[in-house]
Amino acid sequence: MTDINAQNNGRVPGGFAADIATDLASGRAADLAEVYALDAVDDAERAAIEGYLLSAPQAERAAFDERVRQARETLATSFAAEEEPPAGLLDRIMASLPSQDTTAAPDARPAQEPPAVPPVVARPIRESSGLPVTDELGAARKRREERRRPQGMRNWLVGVAAAAIIALGGVGVGAYVANQNDPLNQVLQAGDVRQATVNVTGGGTATVTVSPSKDAIVVKMNDVPPPPAGKVYQMWLIPKDGSAPVSQGLMDAEALSKPAVVKGISTAAALGITVEPTGGSASPTLPTVAAAPLGA
Amino acid sequence: MDTPNAPIPEASAPPGTPADVNRRLGALLEQIAAGDQAAFAEFYELTSRRVFGMARRVLIDVELSEDTTQEVFLQVWQNASKFNPEAGSPLAWLMTISHRRAVDKVRSSQSSTDREAKYGASSQDIDHDSVSDEVGSRLEAEAVVRCLATLTDTQQESVRLAYYGGLTYREVAEKLNAAVPTIKSRIRDGLIRLKTCLGVS
Repeated sequence: MTDINAQNNGRVPGGFAADIATDLASGRAADLAEVYALDAVDDAERAAIEGYLLSAPQAERAAFDERVRQARETLATSFAAEEEPPAGLLDRIMASLPSQDTTAAPDARPAQEPPAVPPVVARPIRESSGLPVTDELGAARKRREERRRPQGMRNWLVGVAAAAIIALGGVGVGAYVANQNDPLNQVLQAGDVRQATVNVTGGGTATVTVSPSKDAIVVKMNDVPPPPAGKVYQMWLIPKDGSAPVSQGLMDAEALSKPAVVKGISTAAALGITVEPTGGSASPTLPTVAAAPLGA
Repeated sequence: MDTPNAPIPEASAPPGTPADVNRRLGALLEQIAAGDQAAFAEFYELTSRRVFGMARRVLIDVELSEDTTQEVFLQVWQNASKFNPEAGSPLAWLMTISHRRAVDKVRSSQSSTDREAKYGASSQDIDHDSVSDEVGSRLEAEAVVRCLATLTDTQQESVRLAYYGGLTYREVAEKLNAAVPTIKSRIRDGLIRLKTCLGVS
């Protein structure tokens, strides 16, 4: 192959368009695998690719993943610059090691029935300490890990009704969103924040501020139109292990203007936002109107 | 692979080859996931020069590179249990984390003028150190040299600017004064050619 692009309309077999969105729309997602693996896309483009793949056919997703894997092996083999790090760095790292959040490796956990599935509950969270939310999410994570088995992203649509889903925000998501100066500012002022802005289908953007150290993100919608009558926006964390997305609450027209804090992101691959009937859904209705990846 | 109790890996592959190093790293990651600090220290000793070396190419600045290296190894400590051997080798996993961190940092911490000056500098010294001559077998290093040579000059240039320059395909296109779709094609075709030549499966 040479790097000839006969035309730039994005529909010519073998030819890229100028922008990622057109490439995706013309079925070239897998051809973006190498550019993606090389981190040669910006945050919005990365989110667009990952958002597209969330609802892409399994075969297309698998082809993309395989090419990314091969490209990463190729890069690790080919670009092998070495340099001695400063003396004492290991000591400094060792001194700062936090406790690991996984107390046991998955295979060390005894096989057991998943605990009783809690119903989907709609209730506002009054977050005085921040701990209840973390605990509930942590519990949900643990249950998911116990159920964990190899399955494709597609499979989270199957049997999701039986999955342990906790709707943290319910109708009152604004609750865990608004006026909570504490958790919000803690995230926004963390030393390690990264920010990405993704487009929202239907207009406007969502800015996602990620703080790995706070294990939390702040989601802020910008100029996003209110949901249609009888609908709300619902936020989800998509777990890395391929298990069912976990609802992070709803955003109605009023909550839309306020930044929302979502905690417990360390095991999440992405944040997704969908449009759901008022009251929210137990599983996301695809496609997402916005999706943002969360970390490596 | 489900081989947590595999026999001593060192016995089954010649020491120093990539396969051998990766097997050792994989075993260490399992121990790190269980909270083993000694395993973590060994993992660091085996890989920190790669992580820091790459960070220095991308970031140039020593302190930023050190910060990045520290963040990468903290991430290794915290996420070792999430390493999935079926999704790639330990070294590719580590370098993926490292490159992403370095790129995030370079894009957020340096103004474009800054970067313009710096990646200009970094692209000059890439050629002689893009191949490891200290880790891995001699054969492997030779294969990389031979395979890089099968890429066109423009493919090599685009891939290197993206990898060590931390540039997006768009920035590569601007820097090289080339069309954006052309750069995407060069990166795709260059990496696929390299993969095929190296026999990455």
